[in-house]
Amino acid sequence: MSAVDTAVAPAAVRTVPAAGTDALRARLTRRLQHGGWFVAPFLTLFALFVLFPIGRGLWLSFTDANISGTGERFVGLDNYREALDSPLLWDSLGHSAYFTLLVVPCIVVLAFLLAMLAHHIERAKWLWRLCFFAPFLLPSTVAGNLWQWLFNPGTGMINHVFGLDTPWLTQKSTALLAVVITTLWWTVGFSFLLFLAALQNIPRHLYEAAELDGAGAWQRMVHITLPMLRNITGLVITLQILASLQVFDQAVVMQDFGPGPEESTRTFVQYTLEEGFTAYRVGYASAISIIFFVLIAAVALGRMWLLRKREEGVR
Amino acid sequence: MSPPLPSRRGVLGGIGALAVAGSFGLAAANRSASALASDADVRVRYWNLFSGGDGANMIAMLDAFRAANPRVGVLDSTLQWGNPYYTKLAMAASGNRAPDLAVMHLGRIPGFAPGQLLDPWDVRLLAEYGVREADFNPVLWKRAVVDGKLYGLPLDIHAQLCFYRRDVCEKAGLLGADGDLAKVTSPEDWFKALKAAKKAVEGAVHTIGIKADEPNFSWWFFLSFYTQLGGTCLSADGREVTLDTDKATQVLEFLRQHLTDGYSTAIGIADGESFVNGSAFTWEGNWSVPVFSGAKLDYGATPLPPVFGEPATHTESHCFVLPHQSQRGGATNEGAHQLAAYVVKNATAWARGGHIPAYLPTLDDKKYVSLEPQSEYVSAMDHMAVEPSAWFAGSTGLLAQRIGPVIASSNVGSAKPDATARRMKDVLEKLVAMKNPMEGRSAAEGGSAA
Repeated sequence: MSAVDTAVAPAAVRTVPAAGTDALRARLTRRLQHGGWFVAPFLTLFALFVLFPIGRGLWLSFTDANISGTGERFVGLDNYREALDSPLLWDSLGHSAYFTLLVVPCIVVLAFLLAMLAHHIERAKWLWRLCFFAPFLLPSTVAGNLWQWLFNPGTGMINHVFGLDTPWLTQKSTALLAVVITTLWWTVGFSFLLFLAALQNIPRHLYEAAELDGAGAWQRMVHITLPMLRNITGLVITLQILASLQVFDQAVVMQDFGPGPEESTRTFVQYTLEEGFTAYRVGYASAISIIFFVLIAAVALGRMWLLRKREEGVR
Repeated sequence: MSPPLPSRRGVLGGIGALAVAGSFGLAAANRSASALASDADVRVRYWNLFSGGDGANMIAMLDAFRAANPRVGVLDSTLQWGNPYYTKLAMAASGNRAPDLAVMHLGRIPGFAPGQLLDPWDVRLLAEYGVREADFNPVLWKRAVVDGKLYGLPLDIHAQLCFYRRDVCEKAGLLGADGDLAKVTSPEDWFKALKAAKKAVEGAVHTIGIKADEPNFSWWFFLSFYTQLGGTCLSADGREVTLDTDKATQVLEFLRQHLTDGYSTAIGIADGESFVNGSAFTWEGNWSVPVFSGAKLDYGATPLPPVFGEPATHTESHCFVLPHQSQRGGATNEGAHQLAAYVVKNATAWARGGHIPAYLPTLDDKKYVSLEPQSEYVSAMDHMAVEPSAWFAGSTGLLAQRIGPVIASSNVGSAKPDATARRMKDVLEKLVAMKNPMEGRSAAEGGSAA
């Protein structure tokens, strides 16, 4: 029944001007009668757990609400004004952005290289895939604690193996870098999997034809593999940017909930948490969450716009 | 070949077996829950933040209470120390799902909305269980009173101490005739002592651990020496910043010299281990006593050296509080009073974890007096350097979180002491001007400065 509806829908929409509004209303009613019940559970949950909290957060950002939820007063744009004036906000935003700048290119290159390796290797394929993907299955607390041990200056394996004497987590110059290294190891598996799936989808006959034409391995890579992976690379970059901007748990675990040496690992999400749950300033924390939401949405939309522009250029 | 599919009867049988097993499990769980309250007339839900040696001590004391008071069931939960604990406590109290009794740091009371998130103690009821104001250190009791009502029942004082290894210090000639560390009364003498100790230290450990990079400890050590100089952070009414940048610079330079002269390192994380492995000194909280005693070291512990004249060492206190419940009262509330009074009065057992009991009669208890090194640092309670009384202060509060990293940056050498002192003043001024979210007034406007 619903399949038939879906099939006729585009035609029905196209004939709207001719059929008039009554006919449209009748069709909409019929479709709601049939499909409404199916989407109702989703819509309810969506409204309850997404729309309502967003709306409530937006309202709270204009109040001086505290954690006990009593006596909130409307303060207009005060929270936003204070947030944009706060050096802590800009510092923490800087750390999140710097982290993103370091992580995203590394993840893309690393995931691509690992995927190529796992795709071309002949023996024990499953072992390579498991090795590269397994860390992604760990909870962030496990990954954070594990690397906290590895980075321990006295007893950790990193200094021992490389013959270093670096206090990784307790000096400003290396603390965020340590979080970056941990994140690469922990999350590269997901992008690796996306690249691997895309590699497996490239038709073999393209390579065979290229080989017949005398193309070498490098030429096949530059003229077939990389162009065929363009879409997936775009997806990986977008997802990684969004995930990296929201960096929080591994950094916090590795610094025992502190802001790191000279506050060098306090990320934007951590700053929000501190304001909301240490200082109990829920209104202010909501305002900085909204600022962050707008920033992230802008990055995601900007990335989409760039992608579309490029696709139009290709056409 | 695919494995044979189970028959319909097999599947139904399996589900039935699971259901039966599940109901046994539920029944067992139910039984254990009701067993908790089976003989008890009331059940007191109690939250605390004690882990490690402290946790074991607290559990032993609760067991003793249960044995002595079978009519009161105690359902205790140990939660992670620090901000996560305070967030949970605040949210439970605001959502009217608070436990009947909880532990918190005394310095956090002004910021914990007394009257809103905390209920006051019934002092008359406490007296019935044998606990009176006269039995407590007056400084502690006064800090727990807001608007004339008692909101915290002090359990202990925990202090920052100077732990020293007798074997190393003896070799360096730093022990007095009684075998304890000889008193040092100036920065010059202190660094002379460190110079001698450095020669006596063997192996690749530093001379003293001062947790130079750790924000909380950095703040606590700063506060200790700054108080020795007679410095204050806020005015008595909490409305104005009184930080003296000259005195602060002097303290920051003193702390930093431990690193520049090569007695300590910027990596504080291994200070305790370093001490066990042969460092002459470490500055640590008294909660390290079980660790060092467990390692069978020949060591002693004194309050931080009074290098700037007046002795003073940073202290905080654990106290019992009654998280806000809209229906507080009745037998459960009475049980909470009884349990808290019991633990406070039997604090000798608690002192094994290194804490100084707040209940003064304990200090005369022979069992307490014979505890080593506990009895060596009892004087810390007479020279307490405490955080200013303000809504943003107290253990791991907003003040420590904002000012600690600033001090640490001077300790490890990436910021100059005088610039750091000015930044500290700036942090304090921002906090004083910041509205207390629980009551909408800043400290400058007279908000929550007890």
